[in-house]
Amino acid sequence: MASLTLALPKGRLLGPAVSLLKHLGYDASALGNGSRKLILDDATGALRYVLAKPDDVPVYVEYGVADLGIVGQDVLREREPDVYEPLTLGFGRCRLVLAAPRARSQVNLRLEPVLRIATKYPRLTSAYFQQRGMAVEIIRLSGSVELAPATGLANLLVDVVDTGRTLRENGLVEVETLLRSEATLIANRAAFKLRMTEIGLLVRDMERATRERADGGPRG
Amino acid sequence: MVTVWDGRLPHGVADIFGVDAARHIALRRALRDVFTSWAYQEVIPPTFEYADTQAAELSPQLREEMYRFVDRDGRALALRADLTVATARIVGTRLYDQPLPLRLFYVGHVFRHEEPRAGRRREFTQAGIELVGAGSAEADAEVLAIAMTALQRAQLPRFQLNVGHSGWFRALLASVAIGDAAGERLRIAVDRKSSAALAEAADSLPLSEPVRAALLATPGLSGGPEVLQRAASLAPNAEAQEAIARLEQVYARLTHRGLADYVALDLGEVRGMQYYTGIRFEAFAPGLGVPLCTGGRYDGLLAHFGPSLPAVGFALELERLLLALSPYDLPSVTNAPHVVAAAGAPRAAWSLLQAARGRGWRIEEDVLGRDRQALLAHARGRGAQTVWWWDGEDAVQVIAGVAVRRLTLAELARELERAPEPGGSV
Repeated sequence: MASLTLALPKGRLLGPAVSLLKHLGYDASALGNGSRKLILDDATGALRYVLAKPDDVPVYVEYGVADLGIVGQDVLREREPDVYEPLTLGFGRCRLVLAAPRARSQVNLRLEPVLRIATKYPRLTSAYFQQRGMAVEIIRLSGSVELAPATGLANLLVDVVDTGRTLRENGLVEVETLLRSEATLIANRAAFKLRMTEIGLLVRDMERATRERADGGPRG
Repeated sequence: MVTVWDGRLPHGVADIFGVDAARHIALRRALRDVFTSWAYQEVIPPTFEYADTQAAELSPQLREEMYRFVDRDGRALALRADLTVATARIVGTRLYDQPLPLRLFYVGHVFRHEEPRAGRRREFTQAGIELVGAGSAEADAEVLAIAMTALQRAQLPRFQLNVGHSGWFRALLASVAIGDAAGERLRIAVDRKSSAALAEAADSLPLSEPVRAALLATPGLSGGPEVLQRAASLAPNAEAQEAIARLEQVYARLTHRGLADYVALDLGEVRGMQYYTGIRFEAFAPGLGVPLCTGGRYDGLLAHFGPSLPAVGFALELERLLLALSPYDLPSVTNAPHVVAAAGAPRAAWSLLQAARGRGWRIEEDVLGRDRQALLAHARGRGAQTVWWWDGEDAVQVIAGVAVRRLTLAELARELERAPEPGGSV
């Protein structure tokens, strides 16, 4: 039987994901760590890893090039890929928040004539304000969103925060939480059905490992 | 005003030509043969209709994806986004009093304005059947058997049909008085197979313990016949029991036909809830991340257009099936000519050429007046096995590779008649 392909996200989720796999007896440590390797076969022969940008992980999985992937809820709810999400993994917890410069944090947003909001999450941001009947101008950026209010490009921002330190250092305060996120295991819909036994076993193992780690084992 | 054409095509459409077009046509023919061999009759619905006609019975998502335009009298028209609705309209308005059950099939293009993503195109080909006027498990099993036969006939080596029943999840929702929004939250959680979201949604509702247990188990209710036993033990009410009983009947009939190996039972699929009333199924093939074929029972659809009649059917997507077939060694499909014939055929050769074409030979006649060398080179480039070079009024040189034979036209006619198949020996 061919190995299962697992798409892993570059960046902050990679370390904990590799450590979760290690807990299960798999070794993906040659990915990242300054290595330029993007495809790697596990020594057990059961898994093949593909390293992709977090935004691209659901793309690989939706097209079925990868059977499984690990990615944050923030990316999933922004892109709404047509995939299964069988398991949340307990790491990579963060929140998607609306933040404003400290000076404006008490302003009633509903009474503001023009809201310009910088974000990497245009769909979630627009849905959030649409539900409240507010027309806003969304400025899509691909990084360093904190810069937008400081330079006058936007008067608010929507971005993920972990500890909130970056916001504070840039004179911003959280106004509201749009979404809570954590790393999630996703699966291609067809692969999940065609390779039910193997994927089912892996999901159960990951569930067990996630529970054990939450119960005080080594945290990723 | 003259504009320079920039060569663009809209997103989501494709040009199909050469061997790919030949495969496309061969596949359509194979599917038509399967459907007619089960005594289904073809319907050819119009490409566009009034938008209202279609929108009435399509899911909200499909409704948004329709290509709409305005007729000169101001009425909204739409390209067909689906062929089932059009077939239902034909039955409801024209065929409803014909002997039942009606067995109908269609092969045609449909149009949907979808965002480009895995396996989605904006124009694609559906081949499907509708069995109208029979609500039995036997009818369900026939439709499933035809879907499997079609995939076998397409020479797809491996595939799986996931068969479920829309009544299962509907029964779970109906057993508790919850609003549409809460039901939709549960449905989305099951659809994503997200145990965390499902537990969270279930915890926020006043569910009885049996319903809660059945709901939480639903995403995992897929596999072999043991799934039905598990589901039967979980079923919290009569409606859920009925859904399982129907699936058992259908599965037994498929086992009886030797088709059970292709089937996975799957109660965890909860799409198209507003449409399906009984069994529902999807076919999957390795390497293709999207279903090849979807279908099920929709006993509520026909009543919209005429008398209420039960109906069950499926639609298969040709382009996806071709994609699923592409990794395998396909039976060679060729549209190369068997024969390239020189220009200036003698008068007596005309009936011979027509007779050969009538028997399936592909014969290309030179219309550029090429000389012998040029014609041989051209024939090689076209992949033709044989060149006929006319030799006077009554003879022909049959050139195959380096071999040259001089035959009278009468001799050639006799050889053609004896040839076992087009292109054979001559």
